[in-house]
Amino acid sequence: MSQGKRITLAVLIIFVIAGGIMAVEMIRRQTQQTPTAAGSPTLAPGSIPIYRDGALVNGFTPEALQALEEASFVDAEEGKTQQGWLLRDVLALYLDTTSLKPETQITVSSSSRKKSVDLTWAEVAEPQNHVQFDLSGRGTLKLVSVLERLDTRDEWVQDVDKIEVRTP
Amino acid sequence: MKSRYFSTFQLILLALFAALIVVAKIALKTPLQMSGHSGIFWMAIVIVAAGVVPKPGAVSLVGLTSGILAAFLGMGDLGALNTFLSYTMVGISADLILLLLRNPENLVVAALTGVIGHLGKLLVKWALGTLTGAPVGFLALGMARSIISYIIFGALGGLLGGLTLLALRKAGFFAYLAEKR
Repeated sequence: MSQGKRITLAVLIIFVIAGGIMAVEMIRRQTQQTPTAAGSPTLAPGSIPIYRDGALVNGFTPEALQALEEASFVDAEEGKTQQGWLLRDVLALYLDTTSLKPETQITVSSSSRKKSVDLTWAEVAEPQNHVQFDLSGRGTLKLVSVLERLDTRDEWVQDVDKIEVRTP
Repeated sequence: MKSRYFSTFQLILLALFAALIVVAKIALKTPLQMSGHSGIFWMAIVIVAAGVVPKPGAVSLVGLTSGILAAFLGMGDLGALNTFLSYTMVGISADLILLLLRNPENLVVAALTGVIGHLGKLLVKWALGTLTGAPVGFLALGMARSIISYIIFGALGGLLGGLTLLALRKAGFFAYLAEKR
C-alpha cells in the first residue's frame, strides 16, 4: 500500500471516530426522556431541571444563556479562568427571587458524579462569591465558586443535572 | 541466548518518556480554556518516544507506564480507572496507527498519529462517561467542539514531536543511539 493510501486511511479513521461519537451523542440526545409529572413543563434534552419545594419549575436551556451576563474569576487551585453564568442569574430567569429568603437552601447536584453541594440563597446571591456555572470540555455544566467548600476541582460539581430550591 | 524485545536502555528511555508525560501534565499549564489543550505537550512526547524507540509496542508501554503513574498520583477528576485507561489508550492508539503509517519523522504522519492518539483518550473519557450515565451535553454541539479541540491540539502536538525528532536527527542523536546499541 502506498503512503498516500495509508494517510487517506488514517484520515478516514479520524472521521469514523469523530462521526461515531457524534452519532451516539445525537441518538442519546434524541432518546433522552426526563420523566415529568402530569401538568409539569416538558424538559428539552440536555436542559437542567429546576425544582422548587419538590415541584418542577422549568428546565434551564442554552437559549437562556443569551439573556445572561457572563461572569469570571481565576481559581486559586489551578490559576485557570472559570467563565460562565452566575447561578443567581439563572435562578432569576425561572423563579421570583424576591420571594427567596437568605436561608433558602439551593442544592446543585450531579447524578452521574454522585456529587452535590448545598448552598443558601444568601451565598448564591452574593456576586463576590462567584457561585457560577462554567462549561466543561464536553459541553456539560460544572458549578464552581470562590467559596471555601466549592473552590477546588474535587469540590466542584461537574456534569450538573439538577437544581433544587427548598424553602425552610 | 534469546535477545529481549526491548533492551534495558530502551526500557529506561521509555520509562523516562512516561514520567515526562506525567510531569508535563502537572507542570505545564496553558491559559487556554479549551478541552484537550494539554495534548500539545502530551502527543509531542509520545511522537518523540515513537521515534527514539522505533518498535511496535514502545508507545503502548509509555502509555501504560504513564497511566499507572498518573493513577497512583491521583490525577484526573474522574477516578483512577478513567485516568489509567485514558493514558494507556493514548499509547495504544498511537502505536496502532504507527503500524499503518510507520515513520513518525514524516510531519504528516506525526500530526495524524498525534490526532488519533489524542482522540483515543477522548474516546475512553467519553465512553466511560456515557457508561456511567453522564448527562448529554448542555450545549448540543458541546461534544463537537471538544472533538475539534482534541484534533487540533493532537495535530499540533504531533507536529511538535515530529519537528523534535527531525531536530534530534540533525543534532546527531540517532547516530549516538546507534553507537550505544
